[in-house]
Amino acid sequence: MYKSLLCWRYLRHRYIALASVVSVMLGVATMIVVNSVMAGFADKMRSRLHGVLADVIVESYDLDGFWNHQEVMARINEVAGKDILAMAPTMETFGLAKWTVNGHPFTRQVQIIGIQPAERAKTGDFAEFLYENKEATEREKPVNMPPSFEITQKVKRNRPAGRFLEGEPENSPFEHLVNQQIEQEVSDNGTIIGFAVGHIHFDGKDVPIAPPGTKIGLVFPAAGAKPKPGYDDFTVVGFFKSGMSEYDSSHVYVPLERLQAMRLLGDGQGKGAVNQIQVKAKPGANLDKLAAKLQTALEGLRPMFFKVSTWEQKQGPLLSAVAVEQSILNILLFFIIAVAGFGILAIFSMIVVEKTRDIGVLKALGASSAGIRQIFLGYGLALGIVGSGVGMLGGLLFVWKINAIEGWLSRVTGRKVFDDGIYYFSSIPTLVEPMTVAWIVGGALFIAVVASIWPAHRASKLRPVQALRFE
Amino acid sequence: MAIQLAASGVEKAYRKGRNEVPVLHGVDLQVERGEFVAVVGQSGSGKSTLLHLLGLLDTPDTGIVQLEGERIDNLPERRRDNLRNRTFGFIFQFYHLLPELSAVENVMLPHMIRLKAFTYLKQRKAIRARATELLERVGLGHRLTHKPNELSGGEMQRAAIARALAGGPEILLADEPTGNLDSASGQSVLELLRDLNRERSLTMMMVTHDQSIAQQADRIVRLAEGRIEEWATANV
Ligand SMILES: Nc1ncnc2c1ncn2[C@@H]1O[C@H](COP(=O)(O)OP(=O)(O)OP(=O)(O)O)[C@@H](O)[C@H]1O
Ligand SMILES: [Mg+2]
Repeated sequence: MYKSLLCWRYLRHRYIALASVVSVMLGVATMIVVNSVMAGFADKMRSRLHGVLADVIVESYDLDGFWNHQEVMARINEVAGKDILAMAPTMETFGLAKWTVNGHPFTRQVQIIGIQPAERAKTGDFAEFLYENKEATEREKPVNMPPSFEITQKVKRNRPAGRFLEGEPENSPFEHLVNQQIEQEVSDNGTIIGFAVGHIHFDGKDVPIAPPGTKIGLVFPAAGAKPKPGYDDFTVVGFFKSGMSEYDSSHVYVPLERLQAMRLLGDGQGKGAVNQIQVKAKPGANLDKLAAKLQTALEGLRPMFFKVSTWEQKQGPLLSAVAVEQSILNILLFFIIAVAGFGILAIFSMIVVEKTRDIGVLKALGASSAGIRQIFLGYGLALGIVGSGVGMLGGLLFVWKINAIEGWLSRVTGRKVFDDGIYYFSSIPTLVEPMTVAWIVGGALFIAVVASIWPAHRASKLRPVQALRFE
Repeated sequence: MAIQLAASGVEKAYRKGRNEVPVLHGVDLQVERGEFVAVVGQSGSGKSTLLHLLGLLDTPDTGIVQLEGERIDNLPERRRDNLRNRTFGFIFQFYHLLPELSAVENVMLPHMIRLKAFTYLKQRKAIRARATELLERVGLGHRLTHKPNELSGGEMQRAAIARALAGGPEILLADEPTGNLDSASGQSVLELLRDLNRERSLTMMMVTHDQSIAQQADRIVRLAEGRIEEWATANV
């Protein structure tokens, strides 16, 4: 009983020892904040990645793809139909985008993806990433648009010719003329381009370089043993903004039938080749198993032709890079707490010296060596609990208020600490994982106890006479 | 009367680096139950050392210490801890109260050490009542919750005496209990010890430098050159 009483009293009366746990506290708080932010980023990134990519992607090694996608999809349904929610055939190829705005020519290397928008939207979060953003200079509330390549009246009005009608009353006599002019200018097919293809990030703002209505020329390899470049014009109808810069800066979506036709891979009547099938699995399905099953089944259909991968496998290097980063950071940060452990060790050794006489008294009153040891181990644990407890609360509070803190810091320093343009996040994403917090707190407690073992052992080995002679 | 505590042929030397400092060479001493023995001797003659050996705070190099005819100096550590807790009570020159605990908590300490946490919590009220009683007995009824640094030297020594008594010991070992007090409070502490010795027939060994205080004991033992040199019966 005297052990817990003395631990408690030491805790309340020895402020020096409390100072030694400040480092534990800071270490725990830092680890919680860093882990929560990194987990938040990773989680957002994963969900965005997953949003762009379907659960499972079946693709052909050959860029020219396969014509029998009906048959392939039927085969997929046959072997794994109970796990599958939706499928969409798509055609993906690399290419170039060329366009001119206000006399400035632009060229971009892009990934051209032919889709049936409604079908594609069923196989992922695709539709949630589409914005019509008229003059996307102000980013506040981007307007979502339906997954469609239709060139609406609004888009047409955005053509240079459409500007003539600005400020004109309804049914202006020019309207007919202007509309005629516009109809001549716009191409038949719309395209949805990556947000970063159509904007440049400049001075903290996104400046549009291909606003809706812009005519974009796409160059891509057409089919054949000796591929020749294919070319077609498209009109920008909206933007694709997933938050993954890799995609937002390269993806260009066009109608599947048109791409098939222009790549000489379609008959123009709805039949054509695709080189990918996006598969959306039912919630809870094991994607790895599903992919393996499909691979085997399609191997039977046509050997060495299809490659089936889950979205995680496709982004394997990126996801594992984030995981490695996080674990390295954790190891480094844990050193902070280890250093704090040495602080506890030093201060504890001092306290044992300071308490030598009291230890002698306790022994003279019949306390056992084990009892003395337990006092100091318990004291170490108590300090650890205080340090990691306060650290945990501090860390969680920081995570909870991180955006307010960021805003305040930005105001005080006069520059944006967290540039939402760089990360495409309107606020700093955080994710508190209870297991991680438990590990951090447990680790800190462990280190506090380990650091007090040696001083506690020394205290318990003091002989009462030695201790009492200590004046 | 029966011999309660006895030392025979006790030798003790302290090792300091390479050379040994012999302190006690062959001390024979017998103390009867209820006796009040004063130990005197020059500084450095080994009085404290003897007291520590008798009270199991240290072990003799050779020779034995007996309690009620039973050898106690070579008992396993747990039994020795237990004897210190129950049979012996210690009083030190510098009081040695624990600074983090109040007077009454200091007095409750022997029971806190003795009992398991659960038993202690169950008996806490009774233990506290008894500690309060003891503090009242030594004249500190008004200082129960004071911390040691809020007490005078004489008060601290009284609290220390109450603590030494709290475990219900049979033998009180006091190392210069008045050494740090002025003569008036020294005298009152001594009278307290004297009374307790009579009231409870406590055996008492007290080291002192003060001849006039030693005179009030039943028997004076003088240590010199590491031996008991002289036995003098005080004129009671
Ligand atoms: N731990 C130790 N290491 C070395 N020598 C010691 C130790 N403890 C005591 N001594 C020596 O033993 C001798 C006896 O010490 P002790 O404290 O018993 O004397 P004392 O009679 O109580 O003296 P005082 O009246 O000053 O208290 C002294 O010479 C002292 O220097
Ligand atoms: Mg002494």
